[in-house]
Amino acid sequence: MNENIKPFFLWKHLNKLRWLVLSLVFLMLIYLPFAHVYQTFVASFSYDLLDPSEKKLFDLMEMLTSPFISDPAVDLDAIKGNTWSGNFFGYKISDPLAVVAQMASGLTVYWPFFVSGLIPIFLTIIFGRFFCGWICPATFLYELNTSLSLFLQRFGIKTGRKRFDPRIKYLVLAIGIGISAVMGSVLISMIYPPAIIGREIYFGIALGGFGAGLVFFVLTLLFDLMISRRGFCRYVCPGGALYSLLGHFRLFRIKRIVENCNDCAKCNAVCEFGLDPLHDDFGQECNNCTACIAICPTDALTFNIKITDDENQGPGHLGKAYKKHEQES
Amino acid sequence: MKRRHFLKDLIAGAVATTVLKSSIVEAAFAPQSGQRYLRPPGSLPEEEFESRCIRCGQCGEVCPNRCIDYFDLENGVGSLNTPYITPRSKACILCMKCGQVCPTGAIKPLQRTAEDILGYVKMGKARVEKALCLSYQGKTCGVCYRACPLADTAIKVQLLEQPVVLDGCVGCGLCERSCIQLPQAIKIIPNHIRSLT
Repeated sequence: MNENIKPFFLWKHLNKLRWLVLSLVFLMLIYLPFAHVYQTFVASFSYDLLDPSEKKLFDLMEMLTSPFISDPAVDLDAIKGNTWSGNFFGYKISDPLAVVAQMASGLTVYWPFFVSGLIPIFLTIIFGRFFCGWICPATFLYELNTSLSLFLQRFGIKTGRKRFDPRIKYLVLAIGIGISAVMGSVLISMIYPPAIIGREIYFGIALGGFGAGLVFFVLTLLFDLMISRRGFCRYVCPGGALYSLLGHFRLFRIKRIVENCNDCAKCNAVCEFGLDPLHDDFGQECNNCTACIAICPTDALTFNIKITDDENQGPGHLGKAYKKHEQES
Repeated sequence: MKRRHFLKDLIAGAVATTVLKSSIVEAAFAPQSGQRYLRPPGSLPEEEFESRCIRCGQCGEVCPNRCIDYFDLENGVGSLNTPYITPRSKACILCMKCGQVCPTGAIKPLQRTAEDILGYVKMGKARVEKALCLSYQGKTCGVCYRACPLADTAIKVQLLEQPVVLDGCVGCGLCERSCIQLPQAIKIIPNHIRSLT
C-alpha cells in the first residue's frame, strides 16, 4: 500500500467523537429539565418542604452545579432550551427549519429569530447535513434502534429492509410548510423528531407527563424497526430535507481513495442513510457521520474539501474486479 | 382513457376540497376544551401568537414559578404544545423571563418595570363574583388585594375590604390563586375571551 495516500489518522476516530457528542447532547436535554426543577426549588427557598425524593434531587443538582455557579436561580438560566431552539449564554440559536416554518406560518420575518438561525445555516452550508449525524437527539435513539434491529436479526427475527424514494422528504417539507402557512400554526414541529424529543423530555421530567408527540416518536421508531431501516430520517424527515438542500454544495465531503479500496462494501452496509460510498455516490444526503471511515478495513475513505462528489472511480485497486481487469489488459 | 383520467382528477380534487373545507379540519383546529387559560405575560393576540410560537418550550423552562404548562391536543391541533397558564393552579409572578427567552417574539421581550408591565402585558382582567366573595358578604377578607403585585393600580379595597378591580389589572392571576373561597370568588377573564364578548 502506498503510504502517501493514507488518510489523516484521526478521521478514523471521528465516529467515536460523534457518539460522544450525541450522548452529550442527549444528556444535556435530560439535565436541563432537572436543572430547571432545581432552580424553582431554590427560588422558593423551600428545602424543608420538599419530599425526600425531591430533596435527593436538590442535593444532587447542588453537588453538580455548585462548583460552576454562585446563584442557581439566575446563573443556570445561561443554557436553556433544546436543539429546536435554545439559549446559549445569551446567544439564541435556532433550527433553520424553525426559522423557515415560522416565516411561513406568521407570513412575516422576525429578524432576531432569523439571525438566530444563521449560525446553523452557515455550518450546514460548509458541513452539509451534519446536524442529522452529530447533534440531533433523535439520531441518538434512531441509531440505537438500528443496533437493536441488527441484534434482533441475530435471532432470526426479520426487521424492515424496504427502500423508498428519498425524495419523499422534500415533498413532506413542501407540504408541511404549505400547511403551516395555510393554517397559521407551526405544525411542522409536530412531525420533526428532534423538536419532539426536546419537548417531550422536558414534559416528562418537569411537568410530570409525556404528551402526544411521544406517541408519534414511538411510531417512527417502530417504522424504522419493522419497515425500513432508518426510514424516517431517510425518507420522511422535513428537517433532513431542508439540511440536505442547504448542504448540496457542502465543502467537507467524504471521498474514496480508489487505490486503497478492496470493494468489501462494508461502507455501504454500515451507512445509515443507505448511500453508496463504494461507487462514490454520496450526494446531498450524506451527513458526514464518518461511520464508513471508521469501518473501512483498508483506510480507503477520507475527507476532501470540494463542492462536488467525484465521478465513479470504478472498482477499488485492491479488489478482485480491478486485478482481473489489469491481467486482461 | 383520457376521460377516465379527467374523472379521477375531478374526484380527487373534490375530495381534497371537501376535506380541507370540512368541519372536521375546522373542528380539529378550533379550541374545543372551553378551558379558561392565559397566555404568558406579553404574548401577542391569540391568533398571532399561534402563528409565531414555534413550540420550543423555553418559556416554561425558564419560568421560576413553573406556572407555564403546555397544551396537548385538548385545545385543538393549532395550539398543540403552546404554553398556557391556569391561574387557579399556579399564577404568573410577572418576572418577565419568558419574554426575554422567547426566540420568536411570540412573547414580547419586556423588562420587569411598571411601564412595561402596565403598558404591554394584557393577559386578562380579574372579575369579582360578589355573591361568592367573603368581603361582600360581611366578613372582611382582602386576601386578593394583598396578593396583587400591582395593588392600588390593579385592584383596590373598600371600607370592609371589598375588592374592586381597576383598569390597571394585567391579569397575572395571583388574586385568583390566593382566593380562600371554594370556588374562587375572583377570576381572571382571559383577553382572548374578553375580546369575543
